Formats: sequence, C-alpha cells, structure tokens
Amino acid sequence: MNELRSAIEAVLFVAEKPVTVGELVRATGARPREVEQALAALEELRGSSGLRLQRDGDAWRLVTSPESARAVTAYLGADRLRISHAALETLSVIAYRQPATRADVESIRGVNCDQTVETLLARRLIEEVGRAERPGRPILYGTTWEFLECFGLSSIDELPRVLTPEGERLDESAPREFAEPIE
Amino acid sequence: MFESRSPRVTVEGFEGPLDLLLELIEDQRLDVLTVRLGDLADAYLTRVRGLVELPAEEVASFLLIASRLVLIKARSILPQATTEELASADADEAELRQRLLEYQAVRERATALRARLDQGQRVYHREGGSPVELPPRGGDSGALAAAWQKVLALARTAREPELVTPGERYSVEERAIEIEELLQAREAVSFSTLLLERPTLRFAIVTFLAILDLFRRGVIDLDQEALFDDITIKRRGVGQTSE
Repeated sequence: MNELRSAIEAVLFVAEKPVTVGELVRATGARPREVEQALAALEELRGSSGLRLQRDGDAWRLVTSPESARAVTAYLGADRLRISHAALETLSVIAYRQPATRADVESIRGVNCDQTVETLLARRLIEEVGRAERPGRPILYGTTWEFLECFGLSSIDELPRVLTPEGERLDESAPREFAEPIE
Repeated sequence: MFESRSPRVTVEGFEGPLDLLLELIEDQRLDVLTVRLGDLADAYLTRVRGLVELPAEEVASFLLIASRLVLIKARSILPQATTEELASADADEAELRQRLLEYQAVRERATALRARLDQGQRVYHREGGSPVELPPRGGDSGALAAAWQKVLALARTAREPELVTPGERYSVEERAIEIEELLQAREAVSFSTLLLERPTLRFAIVTFLAILDLFRRGVIDLDQEALFDDITIKRRGVGQTSE
C-alpha cells in the first residue's frame, strides 16, 4: 500500500497535466479501487506538507499548499487575481450551480452577463463543458483548474459554505438542474 | 480597469435591479423573508429616479422590477380585490421574494469567494509544461567511463606536441577540404582515424567542426552505432559535393 502511494505521488510529481485514475491504474498496475484508496491516503499524508492533492472529477494533480502561497507567490512574482464584484457574482453562480448557462446566471442576477462571462472565459476561470438539452442548446459553463488554483481549493466540494438565515446549507439544497428562467 | 465594459449601474454602485432592491431592504434592516415587498415600491422608484446615469439598456430591467413592486402594492391595498386576485398577488410576491433570496445567496457566495481571494491562499501547480529531463536512452556509466579513457589517452599523446607548437593554427575550411579529399579516396573513415593525424585538442575541435560543416552541406553522412561510440563518416552520393 505504501509502495503504491509513493508510486502515485511520484507519477503526479512528473505529470505535466492532471492525471486520471485510469492513467494511474495503467501506470502502477494496481486496481482502480486500490488507486483510489492510495490517493485518499496520500491526500491525508500531504496535509502536513507544502504540497497538496487537487482533484477535478477523476483527475488529480499535485499543487502547492494554500499555506505556502505567500512564499510561492513571492518566488514566482505572481500577480493576485483582480476581479470585479459583478464577475465574482457570475462566477459564484457558475461555480455553485455548475454546469450553468448564461440564462441561468442572468435570471439569478437580473442583469445581462455577457461581458462578465467573457471576462471569466478569458481569465480561464470558467470553460465550456457542453450544451444543455433544451431548446437552443445553450452552452453550459463549468469552473476550471485555474479556478481551483486561484481560490486555493482542493476540489469543488471545498467551496465556501454559505448559510441561509435559518442556518440551512444553501449549497446542498440547491437543485442540480436549474429551473427555467423566470419571466 | 479589468472590466470597464461590463454592464453595471455605476452611479450608486448597484449591480442591477435585484441588487438595488436588496440594498433597500438591508438599509432598512428588514428581512427578505418577511418584508412586504409592495411597501418598498415607493422607495424603489425614488432610488431608480436617483440613478440619473442609468445605461439605457439597463433601464428596462429596473422598470420591470419597479412595476412588479407597484403591482404587488396595488393588489394588496385594493379593498375590492377578489380572493383570486389576492392569491395571484401573493404568488407574484412569493416569486419575487424567491428571486431575491437566490440573488442574496449568490451575493454572499461572491463575498465568500472574495474573502478567499483576499486571504491570498491560492495554490500553484508545477509550472513549465516541459517534461522532466530524461537521460538519452542507451547511456550507461560504463560507456561514459570508456569514453573518458579515450579522452585521457588522447590527452596523453597530445600533451607533447602541443607543448612544442603552442601556436598551431588550423582552419575549419582547410580541414573540411582535407576530409573531403580523403573521402574521395576512401568511402568512409572513422572520427578516431581522422584524429590520429595530429592528436591535439585544437586539431580535434577543428576536425569536429569541419565534420559538422560537411554534414550541414550534405557532403557526408554520419553514423554512430551507440552512445559514445566512434563516429563513422561516409561520403554521400557522388555529385553531391559542395561548390
């Protein structure tokens, strides 16, 4: 088990892009279930180090820990992401409801969102993930690896929870398939 | 700077009609869940009137919300309203309230995301996209050692003449012509044979550069069986020589 865990860590280290469970299975010769378990163990192990595992769907990769962001940012000379409140609102609709269409975003925000969606696409915080099975086949948007990186998230499951006034977890009660736009 | 063309209401910093309504409710410390939305109609209209520089394309969306507020208010205060009308007014208000709640949640999430950004706790992946440098295939330390032995042997034989003639001069062009002539006589020659003539370092460098030049000009073919092996220099088909 330790051996598999180390092997997976090593593969993730040299990988240029996120590695899927299937690729890890092929590389290590282990069973998918064993790989998943090893990934979970690795995730726990990494918790105290400067590197973390990041997951999107069934793809994984190694990233720096949020705690070491200051040093890494200083070393890379990276710029902090600047983003307007309007763009953040659009981003939050897409992040929490994904996949979401422009119409979804507009019906919630009550304003035209073309510009903010364009901005988010250009910043690679969101991307097209498919088309909705409804008239007009509108484009569906979802968040990207860059989004997870910018917000220091290990996966979409780590999005900050927001409570309703009654203390209900909004995020869990939110319908996955969004209703038809109002009006 | 980052989003100058985005649609937004600039004057008082509202993002849109729902944002304005929500601000109104929060300013008066009212609860979205319980506030009678019809009561806000007058205040809302006043605020919309105040937004003098409202972009034309945004006016409609503000007026739409304003008209719904007025309608809700009107229905609720009409004494002769039928139960049907009242029910319809309730449904209308409930729907608008639902939208407000949804929007409120989005605004809070956006604020939560902003807080994460402000903490600066982002993460990074390994940058570059270039793979980890791999050593060339077939290389082994034994071959490297053998190559080093050759260099040492060359250096030993080279030391003496080099000390004697420190000012030796070879030109790459001359050496290239020499090699070309040599290859007219015999089809192939090994690099080590070419070096035997004058085994000094400078001679070796000039010879190597001459070979590269000949190869570039398509005069010769080069062949090396394995890493660190001797290089075989072959004449390319007749008629392909330079000039």
